[in-house]
Amino acid sequence: MSRGSRLFHLLVIVSTGCVVLLVLLAFHSETPETAPYGTYVDRSVEETGATNRVAGVYLNYRLYDSLLEVLVFFVAVLGVRHYLGTRERAEIPTLAESEVVRTSAALLFPLALLLGVYLATLGQISPGGGFGAGAVAASGVLLASIALGIDAIERRLRRTTIERIERGALLVFLLLTLLPLPLGRPAMSDLLPKGSPGAVLSGGAIPLYNTLIALKVLAGSWLILRSFVRHRGEI
Amino acid sequence: MAFSAGIVLLGIGLVAIAIRRDLVIKLLALGLANAGSILCLVAIGDRPEARVPICAVCRDAVYADPLPQALVLSAIVINFAILALALVFVMRLVEHYHSTDSRRIEGLVQRDLREGGRS
Repeated sequence: MSRGSRLFHLLVIVSTGCVVLLVLLAFHSETPETAPYGTYVDRSVEETGATNRVAGVYLNYRLYDSLLEVLVFFVAVLGVRHYLGTRERAEIPTLAESEVVRTSAALLFPLALLLGVYLATLGQISPGGGFGAGAVAASGVLLASIALGIDAIERRLRRTTIERIERGALLVFLLLTLLPLPLGRPAMSDLLPKGSPGAVLSGGAIPLYNTLIALKVLAGSWLILRSFVRHRGEI
Repeated sequence: MAFSAGIVLLGIGLVAIAIRRDLVIKLLALGLANAGSILCLVAIGDRPEARVPICAVCRDAVYADPLPQALVLSAIVINFAILALALVFVMRLVEHYHSTDSRRIEGLVQRDLREGGRS
């Protein structure tokens, strides 16, 4: 590499770092009493009905944020499957796992799914949410496929069914955000009753969105994982 | 303190992405930069003696800012998606060129382009 281009690279790195640092410092030096903090902390529980204020922010005030996040995730899943789906191996040899691993995987798999359901459905009143719930459930499925072999898992969870779940969850999510428009409300506004904060059925549409996101993340992560396994030929 | 540590991690990650030649190391550095930015965001949301922003009854308490935490959620998911997709591209490059060295792959791609143009 020539001296000039090395200097240019160094200059680019340093100037990018300076800009990032300036932006972060400018953001950090704001006083704590600025508007968004006060709005979200003081009013979000009454306005969204969710005692988990983080869920109130990302599934009510900033629903577009989560919508685009789900879309980015969908595009990534599509990309992984497009570039890895060309040469899939039919038979994946199962590792000779010991009885301990198989028994504990069979014991922990339903618990992981149950934890996923808990995180998704109670995300409005406790720490949790759709993304974490989907990741937990998908790692449970991965654990089971390590212990029992991916072929045994795919006999129960067919790929076409998983793909349908993934696309269906995204479609329902998109339609739910557009549903207020024909009813004369702005898009992405919450139509369901808020409920009393702290109750299981509260937060308007937040539990519904959390469940949809959990299904989407579970199906998407599992599709990514199975593409890697099928491409590599072993788990 | 946590904010400065986040900036340091972010800087290490960005510099490593720029100057390391191995593609897998570049992806690891991307993960490091992501972790640094998440640490910065969480530190921004912190208040002195702040509580977790999940509480229905305790009105007068000081809460951590929920907005950066909601952004962290996006950052984690997008990082997972980007890493998975980038790993797939690295796998394709390794299958084709049998190397993870970015400069070597670049040279091989240039050679392929020249040969493709000639034939």
